[in-house]
Amino acid sequence: MIPELGHLFLISALVLTFVTGFLPYIGAVIGRHIFFNYVFTISKFSFLLISISLICLIYSFLVDDFSVMYVASNSNTNLPFYYKLTATWGAHEGSLLLWIFFISLWKVLYLNRNGSEENFNIIALTIINQVVFTFIAFTLFTSNPFERILPLSPIQGNDLNPLLQDFAFTIHPPLLYLGYSGLVVPFAMAVAAMLTGNTDSLWCRFARPWVLLSSGFLTLGISVGSWWAYYELGWGGWWFWDPVENMAFVPWLVSVALIHSLITSEKRGLYRNWSLLLSILAFATSLLGTFLVRSGILTSVHAFALDPERGVFILAIFFYFICGSLLIYFFKNSKIREEATYNILSKEFGFLLNNILLVVLALSILFGTIFPLIYEAINGRQISVGAPYFDFLIIPFAVGLSFLQGLGLYLGWHSTKSFNFLIRLLVETFTIMIIIFLVLYFLFGEGNFYLLLSILAFSWILSGTILDKPFNTKTSKEIRDFLYYRAEVIFAHLGTAFLILGVGVVSAYSMETEVLLAPGEEFKLGDSKFTFKEIKTRKEQNYNSTQARLAVSTHNSSYDLITEKRYYPFANQMMTEAGIKTLITKDFYVTLGDELGEKYSFRLQIKPFVRWIWFGALMVAIGTFLSAYRQRKRNEKIT
Amino acid sequence: MKKLLNLLPLAFFAGLVVTLFFLLGKDNAELKSVMIEKNFPSFSLSTLENPNVYIDQTSIKKLPALINIWATWCIACRVEHPFLMELKDKSIISIYGLNYKERDNGDKARKLLSRIGNPYEFSFFDPKGKLAIDLGVYGAPETFFIDKNGLIKIRHVGPLTADIWEEKFNVLLKK
Repeated sequence: MIPELGHLFLISALVLTFVTGFLPYIGAVIGRHIFFNYVFTISKFSFLLISISLICLIYSFLVDDFSVMYVASNSNTNLPFYYKLTATWGAHEGSLLLWIFFISLWKVLYLNRNGSEENFNIIALTIINQVVFTFIAFTLFTSNPFERILPLSPIQGNDLNPLLQDFAFTIHPPLLYLGYSGLVVPFAMAVAAMLTGNTDSLWCRFARPWVLLSSGFLTLGISVGSWWAYYELGWGGWWFWDPVENMAFVPWLVSVALIHSLITSEKRGLYRNWSLLLSILAFATSLLGTFLVRSGILTSVHAFALDPERGVFILAIFFYFICGSLLIYFFKNSKIREEATYNILSKEFGFLLNNILLVVLALSILFGTIFPLIYEAINGRQISVGAPYFDFLIIPFAVGLSFLQGLGLYLGWHSTKSFNFLIRLLVETFTIMIIIFLVLYFLFGEGNFYLLLSILAFSWILSGTILDKPFNTKTSKEIRDFLYYRAEVIFAHLGTAFLILGVGVVSAYSMETEVLLAPGEEFKLGDSKFTFKEIKTRKEQNYNSTQARLAVSTHNSSYDLITEKRYYPFANQMMTEAGIKTLITKDFYVTLGDELGEKYSFRLQIKPFVRWIWFGALMVAIGTFLSAYRQRKRNEKIT
Repeated sequence: MKKLLNLLPLAFFAGLVVTLFFLLGKDNAELKSVMIEKNFPSFSLSTLENPNVYIDQTSIKKLPALINIWATWCIACRVEHPFLMELKDKSIISIYGLNYKERDNGDKARKLLSRIGNPYEFSFFDPKGKLAIDLGVYGAPETFFIDKNGLIKIRHVGPLTADIWEEKFNVLLKK
């Protein structure tokens, strides 16, 4: 009964989003304003229906209703209740419903807190409603989560993929989807701006908080995913250039470019065409990610069910929205005149470079992700572009972007008055660089060229963002004001600096080895000694586990590490849980391998500074959210 | 010239859509199998129906035939089950089951078949997945088509439906 209700509510929402998404346009064509004035009310109501529908699905999971095929495929009576809850978005159908819920949530937030004029808002809302409509249609026609297996329903379900039975997984998809789906708002606003002809800088001002929020959620979602991969997959890596990771990274890059171009459009009226285009591009890459993951074209840890029919459907959605909006762009953009001029050594030009770097990088990653598919289709051979291409690709871009971050706060609008700060900045940068280099040298030994590069980037951003400030201000109030008013920039840019340093150090100094140990034996890696203490087996609610305890000692301290292998009988899958001990400067990371006679194989790893990567990403997210909040406040003042 | 430049994003994405569309055209369910055009691999397994009877590749007598990989834990197998029953009831083709990775001695599988109906001539009982590995099976359900000469012609991953049957299998059967 409950699943049928959920199904019914979803169908009703489909009707309502059609009414609010398309009828106003049909009305405009036949010259009658049908439904135009009800868009707000009906939009809210359709959100309510979608929420109830999602709750119905969650309910079916909680009560183990295995007559629902989706529940039977992804849950099990032995699953703890919180994993039953998160199993709701554990596979294609349910995660799609969550996606729809989030887009509608953004829609309701938008209609409750908007500053633009009414016509503009109504058009933006109709666009979002169109997006919701197409995705509900997609769900109902190709991937209905409420489908039943009757009358022969199973008494026990399959299990949730054991990889996904984990805390980080409970928050990773929702965060990422919030970010992905949030990009629908700037997209809808850009289309509304083009259709109403309000392509002045005002819409940029109102669009900025939405882009910032989405970008912040993407940052969090991606970093939680990376953290999850680090401790859950048991390889000790934190980024794999997996196609699906790439498809989350690409919209993030575009959203960051958009944040910066919107600032320029708002303050100086420049790059307004570009901001429109980027808003479309951001949503396009977000949709493209959805397409690639769910069509079965890509094979990866993340990929959902193989189904070409679904692929065609999403591709049609993509074509309608992206090519449609670009067509509007083609007809409307020439009406925008940009008269402001600027010097080459100005903030405007800095933002231009920033945008070029970010967008070219995004497109190159997109290309590297799709190219192997095209190559295989043409030549019939599989090739892997993989990590070497991307590692090589990203370095020059990272260098360029770091260079701009260090300068950013010194560049002035229109032109920069003086470059006296440069000498000071360079001296500071090199001082810090030498200090960090020496510290690292004494801690971990000799590094490599890329490490030097990352230290340089870190020192440069650190000096340019915050360290140099006391030298060029006179009063302490000035410094306090600077820290207060530029807090978002400081957080976001310093965050990237920490991340870059973390990446440099972990790549240069990581140590790993595979060893065979019997209980009581030891192994020395670097100056740390790993001792295999004991092994035992135990039985949990939904898995059996073999657990090994190791002790690691360095200098004068010793820590216990527990790594285990889990067997999940319902899903018939093995899982490795890494044993990790985190210190400020490094992580000890061990994973249990196979049993060979009396001995067990282990992979021992030491990962210096690896936590700095996620710490940096968290700072970026904080800066982004803070900026969203402040922009929101500023916008409230002018309305 | 500027006009053309403005058309560039549209052209780029339209091109992308076309490319992706043709990539989709490749049938993903028909995974490349090294077994295509080869004889069925040799094996020796007991049957699900009688654990004491051992059989091998020569026991697949009624050709052409389908080999259908199924299991009690496989939800998607329930989806294709009615269609397999239909194939059997209309005597369209003989179907041999490969009961894959059960975690008991086969009691559950036997009970299930007696409850919902048995579309198979008989089922090989392969709890360790030995034969499945030789066939290159990813999981259940999968279906192989063996022609009248005993050669494997099609490998289909995922539930078998009437549409897929018409499109891929029936063509070969009529030849």
